[in-house]
Amino acid sequence: MDYDVIVVGGGHAGIEASLAAARTGFRTLMVTQSLDTIGRLSCNPAIGGLAKGNIVREVDAMGGQMGKLIDATLVQYRVLNRRRGPAVQAPRAQADKFSYSRLAKETLEHQQNLTLFMDTVVGLLVEPDGRTVCGITTGRGNRISSKAVVVTTGTFMDGRIFIGEYDAAEGRLGEEGAFGLGDCLRRMGLETARLKTGTCARVDSRSLDFSKMERQDGDDPIEPFSFENHVNSRVQVPCWITYTNERTHKIIFDNISRSPLYGGKIVGKGPRYCPSIEDKVVRFSQRDRHQIFVEPEGSGTVEMYLNGLSSSLPEDVQNDFIHSVEGLENALVMRPAYAVEYDFVFPTQLKLSLECKKYDNLFFAGQTNGTSGYEEAACQGLIAGINAVQKIRGEQPLVISRTEAYTGVLIDDLVTKGTKEPYRMFTSRAEYRLNLRHDTCDLRLTPKAAAFGLCSEQRMANLEKKIDLISDLKQCLLHSKTGGMNAVQALKHPEIDLDKIKDDVPELMNYPEEIRNIVQQDIKYEGYIKREDRQVERFDKLDNLIIPPDFDYRAMEGLSQESREKLEKIAPSNIGQASRISGVRTSDIALLMVYLRRRNG
Amino acid sequence: MKSYVSDDMIFALATCVGKSALAVFRVSGEGSIASFASCFSKPERLLAAKTNTLVYGTVTGVDDVVVSVYRKGHGYTGEEALEISCHGSLASISLMNEKLSQLGFRQAEPGEFTFRAFLSGKIDLTQAEAVNEIARSQSRLSQTLALERLGGALSARIHRNRDLLADAMSVIEVQLDYAEDEIGGDTSFPFDEITDARDDLAKLADTFRTGSLIGQGAKIVLAGAANAGKSSLFNLFLKTDRSIVSAVPGTTRDFIESNCEIAGINVRLFDTAGLRTAGEEIEAEGIKRTKALMRSSDLLLYLVDSSDPEDGYESISERLEKEIPGVEKLFVWNKTDLPSAFEMPEGFIELSVDSAEGFEALVSGIVSSLGMVSDSNGCELLIESPRQHRSLVESVRSLDSVLSLAREEECLDIISVEMKEALDQLGYICGELTSDDVLDRIFSSFCVGK
Ligand SMILES: Nc1nc2c(ncn2[C@@H]2O[C@H](COP(=O)(O)OP(=O)(O)OP(=O)(O)O)[C@@H](O)[C@H]2O)c(=O)[nH]1
Ligand SMILES: [Mg+2]
Repeated sequence: MDYDVIVVGGGHAGIEASLAAARTGFRTLMVTQSLDTIGRLSCNPAIGGLAKGNIVREVDAMGGQMGKLIDATLVQYRVLNRRRGPAVQAPRAQADKFSYSRLAKETLEHQQNLTLFMDTVVGLLVEPDGRTVCGITTGRGNRISSKAVVVTTGTFMDGRIFIGEYDAAEGRLGEEGAFGLGDCLRRMGLETARLKTGTCARVDSRSLDFSKMERQDGDDPIEPFSFENHVNSRVQVPCWITYTNERTHKIIFDNISRSPLYGGKIVGKGPRYCPSIEDKVVRFSQRDRHQIFVEPEGSGTVEMYLNGLSSSLPEDVQNDFIHSVEGLENALVMRPAYAVEYDFVFPTQLKLSLECKKYDNLFFAGQTNGTSGYEEAACQGLIAGINAVQKIRGEQPLVISRTEAYTGVLIDDLVTKGTKEPYRMFTSRAEYRLNLRHDTCDLRLTPKAAAFGLCSEQRMANLEKKIDLISDLKQCLLHSKTGGMNAVQALKHPEIDLDKIKDDVPELMNYPEEIRNIVQQDIKYEGYIKREDRQVERFDKLDNLIIPPDFDYRAMEGLSQESREKLEKIAPSNIGQASRISGVRTSDIALLMVYLRRRNG
Repeated sequence: MKSYVSDDMIFALATCVGKSALAVFRVSGEGSIASFASCFSKPERLLAAKTNTLVYGTVTGVDDVVVSVYRKGHGYTGEEALEISCHGSLASISLMNEKLSQLGFRQAEPGEFTFRAFLSGKIDLTQAEAVNEIARSQSRLSQTLALERLGGALSARIHRNRDLLADAMSVIEVQLDYAEDEIGGDTSFPFDEITDARDDLAKLADTFRTGSLIGQGAKIVLAGAANAGKSSLFNLFLKTDRSIVSAVPGTTRDFIESNCEIAGINVRLFDTAGLRTAGEEIEAEGIKRTKALMRSSDLLLYLVDSSDPEDGYESISERLEKEIPGVEKLFVWNKTDLPSAFEMPEGFIELSVDSAEGFEALVSGIVSSLGMVSDSNGCELLIESPRQHRSLVESVRSLDSVLSLAREEECLDIISVEMKEALDQLGYICGELTSDDVLDRIFSSFCVGK
């Protein structure tokens, strides 16, 4: 055996998968088409955002790398939705894209047990048993064996990019797609289909008129993504906001037939939530303007990203409509917007551990599973990496519940329901958001990671200290008086916050800011958190009713044909998951519960 | 949930013993038709019978029968099933019972047919509960209600409100899914939609008292001074001479109870000992019990003998309100065929039990005091199950806090916790839950940026 784990791909999923495997002491190989493009931010140069920011912090809490990478390389930081409630606040940061990927590669290079290798994976090696994957074959004819393989090919598997009439077999503009692996997977009997996503044009900042745009500055100080970093302050760069107008829309409308999307060249389904500008103009023709964020690509470049103008129209049309926007009249396009179409593997073919149902020791993570976004990819990579190791160890996989983390929601959604378009995380996909606050990810998840060897003793000790501080501060508030009541009661009033009572409770200021924030949220929303806890309890009850892996739905009478087929296909591991499969009837779930109860005596 | 076994053949008598000319047995489960054919005079006809058809024949040694055949997927339970009609005599019924047991059918547990229908997806939870009530209910009105629910009227009404709320939820969620500065302007809070749903659900929840009165029977107590005519009225309702009537005050010493139907409503009617200063020991005990009964009643009918100058009805309503608070009351001015000793106070219903004059007005008074419309055909949908009632009340409570939180401009993510609770509770009523249809609505009706 050459390696314990081989990770195919060096994107955000691949990074986390390789690091997780290597850090737990397993000899790991990352194979990527280009060593120069590891950890690229191919779309917008930003990490985090609503729900996604939570995911980054979940990944960090479980010993992943993304939070540390962005903390070290950000050029602007903001907490979104500060005016809104605790459940939907989330950090977002603009990265210096060069530093980000350089740091990613450096981190991988310095990781013990991890080897990087440049080649294109074109096939998988399968044991004579016909169901255990044991390595890879490459474009240059290398055969490398391993105990487990994690596939994280992103948009590269049979990738093809489109700019109007132009198309090329690339996974990213100027980078060749990966061919061969898709066919191999299909030959192995796995189902794949096409998805489409797109990216926006980059323009030269010196050609823009910022005086016509709204300026958006970052927050200061910065509350880092990683729980191992501390609140800090640094020089930041601004973003800018401008809008499309009716003229922009008309240009797009008049040229719509030249879009490969509307001309029928692209068959893959694109995302509804992050539609191309032509989609927005066609689908929401009543809107007279759409917002555009002009974001820096980094501190060492003049390239700026036109967030909101993703398109696959020909370059001359792109130029025209970009120039119709206020502030962009003279914009010099450095890279055009383009659409990319690629193969993804139906994620319903995976278990909650992200292991393939049909092949042992084969894992999939990231955009290959139909998701979109760096953060969504990273959390899958981490879980796949951990579970590849667990599989080699012969131990139970790590499965995160929907009630614990967005990561749990994401994986459960993917493997239970599948997806027909690139899956992006939204807060509304989670049932119990108050429980998934970004500032408490470590409290929920770090102890879990510790059990898998992904968290140092020092980190666990820090966590325990943090837990102590939180409960100390709560006690302290309970015993302090302000305005004739104890401080806890006072804080429940919407207009009162810790800042307002610090004169009455001076000890308060001995606690670090992050502790104060957590305690404040906990107290303010205590009633709702409790209510949600009860909802979670009801929910968990169903998730705790385990369906044995060998369960025979055929032996179960009275099950409708449709439900049986779906249940057999998804093979849910518990009743909760079964009840979330679309098209399985409630009455069939009731029947299943009755059967399981009888089986268990 | 009871753990019924659902893979064997069951049977049950579907009609009441000894009451009707015909008795109907229901059998269900795979293999039912073949098993029954083995004791049937024309087995081939039965085995070949299409679904929803009748086969006439004889069960050897038992009776002539008509058999309705239901193939899998068609009958009430959704399983292969038969309905066997035979004569309603006790003899036929017990012979048939024995025969079916011999053939390997198991006597069904209560509710088991309905349970199987639920499992096979033939009915949802609200319908299952309705069936339960039809089986239990004795009166006409109750059956109409249960039948309406069986038709899915309750599910439809719940679903209508849930759709309304899911739409409102998507308006909230869209704002949560995108950062403040990403969607153009804040959408206004869907107060109207939520208020509409809340009011409709509250109305539905309010029918629970009435609903359960109808389902379980309303408890009506006749009370009043001795000799006021309570026993006479009791007999009039029952259309029999159950209670002893006499001109001697204090005839009824303890209460008498009987079931009857008033305007289609199932009623448990109580005749009581007259209320007057106790003379004898035994009667004092009777009065104590009468008062206890009055307190537990759904409706109190207080009778006054209008011809008796000593009846002592003055300010009776105030006195009663103090003594028996919170119970619905009707005051009856009885014996109007006799010369009146006083002028009738306001709010009384005139009645002469002897001539039955005013009886109809009294009946409609009773119906409206119980909170019902008198026309049993045009009756409203009512909630009878405590489970449904609990969920409705919870749901309304959550919506109330949604509305008040929104008025206080509390954060949307907090509000959505309560919204979710309301939606969940409605989901529980029908035995189904959702969470992912909200996203779909967001995308179909909003344009959002990245
Ligand atoms: N004329 C007339 N007599 C009535 C009427 N209702 C009842 N009576 C008579 O009043 C007397 C008392 O009637 P009951 O029904 O026994 O009265 P009660 O309230 O049950 O009396 P106790 O059981 O003694 O408390 C009987 O002689 C009845 O015939 C009525 O409407 N008109
Ligand atoms: Mg009497």
